[in-house]
Amino acid sequence: MSLNPFFLQGSPNEQYLVQDLINEQLKIYGVEVYYLPRKIFKTDNIIREIQSSKFDDVFLMEAYINNYDGYAPDSDIMTKFGLRLKNEISLTISREKYEEFIAPFLEGLSSGIREGLITEYDFADLITRPKEGDLIYFPLGERLFEIKRVESEKPFYQLGTNYVYELSCELYEYENELIDTAIEEVDNTVEDEGYITSLILAGVAATATATATVGTGAISKIFLNNDGSGYTSTPTVTFSDPPSGVGTVTAKAIAITTSRANVQSILRLELTNGGSGYTTAPTITITGGGGTGAAATCAVGSSSVNTITLTNKGKGYSVSPLVTIGGPVTGVSTATGIANLDDDGKVDSVNIINPGVGYTVAPTVTIAGVTTVGFGTFVYNETITGQTTGVTAVVRDFRRDSTTSTIDPTINLRVALNTGKFGAGEVIVGSISSARYVVRSYNTESYDNPYDVNEEIETQADNIIDFTESNPFGSY
Amino acid sequence: MLGTYFYHEIIRKTIISFGTLFNDIYIRHTKSNANLDETKVGLSYGPMQKFLTKIQEQEQLTKSIAVTLPRMSFEMTRISYDPTRKTGITQTFKSVEVGSSKIKKVFMPVPYNIEFELNIFSKLNDDALQIIEQILPFFQPSFNLTVDLVSSIGEKRDIPIILDSIDFQDDYEGSFQTRRALIYTLRFTAKTYLFGPIAESSDGLIRKVQADISSGTDTSVAKREMRYVASVDPITASPEDDFGFTESWTFLPDSKDYSPTRQEDI
Repeated sequence: MSLNPFFLQGSPNEQYLVQDLINEQLKIYGVEVYYLPRKIFKTDNIIREIQSSKFDDVFLMEAYINNYDGYAPDSDIMTKFGLRLKNEISLTISREKYEEFIAPFLEGLSSGIREGLITEYDFADLITRPKEGDLIYFPLGERLFEIKRVESEKPFYQLGTNYVYELSCELYEYENELIDTAIEEVDNTVEDEGYITSLILAGVAATATATATVGTGAISKIFLNNDGSGYTSTPTVTFSDPPSGVGTVTAKAIAITTSRANVQSILRLELTNGGSGYTTAPTITITGGGGTGAAATCAVGSSSVNTITLTNKGKGYSVSPLVTIGGPVTGVSTATGIANLDDDGKVDSVNIINPGVGYTVAPTVTIAGVTTVGFGTFVYNETITGQTTGVTAVVRDFRRDSTTSTIDPTINLRVALNTGKFGAGEVIVGSISSARYVVRSYNTESYDNPYDVNEEIETQADNIIDFTESNPFGSY
Repeated sequence: MLGTYFYHEIIRKTIISFGTLFNDIYIRHTKSNANLDETKVGLSYGPMQKFLTKIQEQEQLTKSIAVTLPRMSFEMTRISYDPTRKTGITQTFKSVEVGSSKIKKVFMPVPYNIEFELNIFSKLNDDALQIIEQILPFFQPSFNLTVDLVSSIGEKRDIPIILDSIDFQDDYEGSFQTRRALIYTLRFTAKTYLFGPIAESSDGLIRKVQADISSGTDTSVAKREMRYVASVDPITASPEDDFGFTESWTFLPDSKDYSPTRQEDI
């Protein structure tokens, strides 16, 4: 037995007609969605998963929404991992449209990889149909869906062939994949999602200035004879008083601590005031800070630099600038100082490391200017590179916060997909905008992600946990 | 009957201490040009008010994506008495209130085990493996934390966190309409201590000790021969002060006895 030969069970022309009617229906009743094919960076063939991918191509196509009555109820569920959305959508797209308008472009990518012209990523060699794992941007609600399953035989072989693909999709589980299609509404779906870190950049710059005074009978040198150990906080440094008299001033200093191999000791003593009127070297007492053993002595010279006063704090500094103090005419010993910055990039104080000897007049103090002043505007999704660390990241948001200051606004940059940690003081450069700024500070805490409370836990734990040695899991 | 209000936040502190072990874990992925990008794994305490979850995590009701991964959560699952660490129920110790010189009387704490679950939710098996491999080597099978359990008296206790078990769920089988879920569950026990109310002690600080030494054990017959006195120097010193000690030995052939009530030799 065979089919009736006097009837056609689907001639090509009938099939074309049905396909055209379906295409027409989709154009009338469908919605425009974007199709984003997955490009693969790394596949692990042992545990069999694609571990890293990006989506930077996009194809517009019309699709009919099968679940016209909306998403299933209770698509948002509370889990032990917070909120999880399980919105599902079923879309019907034209087979002919896919094969004629999308597949040829994908074939171009595929052949580029085969011929070695594209080496950055891999691409599944399957181009003749929409693939599971690819993304659909659905404009109603601006959602990003991942294709879970492609059905090609529904309706079942009308006139001997199939005309549509039915795509079963579920909301995308995002894991810092790069989505850079140049279609703003698509790229912005993940603008605030994933692990985003923030940098504060140095903006307007001004050079700090300072003056020095010279004192007779001032401290001319400090000798740190023993750096001690166990100084978990800064100890207090006190000098004995000079003999009473007119114009005598007690010297003051601060201790700078350091840590090597988990031993906290004193690195050096910095004079904030060299004092005056000493006839013999005063005694130095170092107390507190949780440590023991530190001891220092000092010498008193005829006339040394005893104070450095800031006349202009400057701004825009990200690293401590070099301080140069003019030498004495006698040429005995030139004073040296060090600048300390506050959180706003201004010079907070200049301390004396070596007061020098033999000054007859107050020397000039020169504080180095800011070497790089930031300029330009970073653009979304461009890559920035740290010029010192070599760390790269992708820009998510760049803005000047004029509410803090209209003259010198705080400049915030938020980035994702970091290859490491940016260092304070390094220059970052944008790959597209060529914008160039100095990093004032870098915060590794996840920005504006309500789920991540890592830092809050750490802050509260700092008050109650005694990590006398160190936290083996790392710390902020 | 019980009724004395006190709240040292010990269980809360134990939760925070447990959480801080896992709040700085990163994973890495290969991206273009063989660069590795770093992701800090988000951590939260799992149980949460439902409405707060909605308004925090879904400010815009049309959220674009399902969830960001990987992420971890932890939660307390059980509190049980630990009889193996039981101490005498009437035993007390004295402590000094932090920031003052008041003596506090504290009953020995009651040993409790608090069980925790750390859950790791990831999209990739590799992510989960990176995370647990950064955790497991530190537990043999316990890791000690020193926690200031009662801050008012600065009572620091070592709390061992013991890794009890590691399970994972990998729902990769079944219909393609359901998504693969990859969840690792690590169970831990924290051996903590619960303190009862802390009362002010009527006792004062011991600043001076005096002992009269007799030539025999029968004090009705044997009279004292020597007196040993040890005191802090200066005698008015408080616990937080920098003080020394003074010792003195005195030869006393006077055959008298010391009256503690009259505080003189009679």
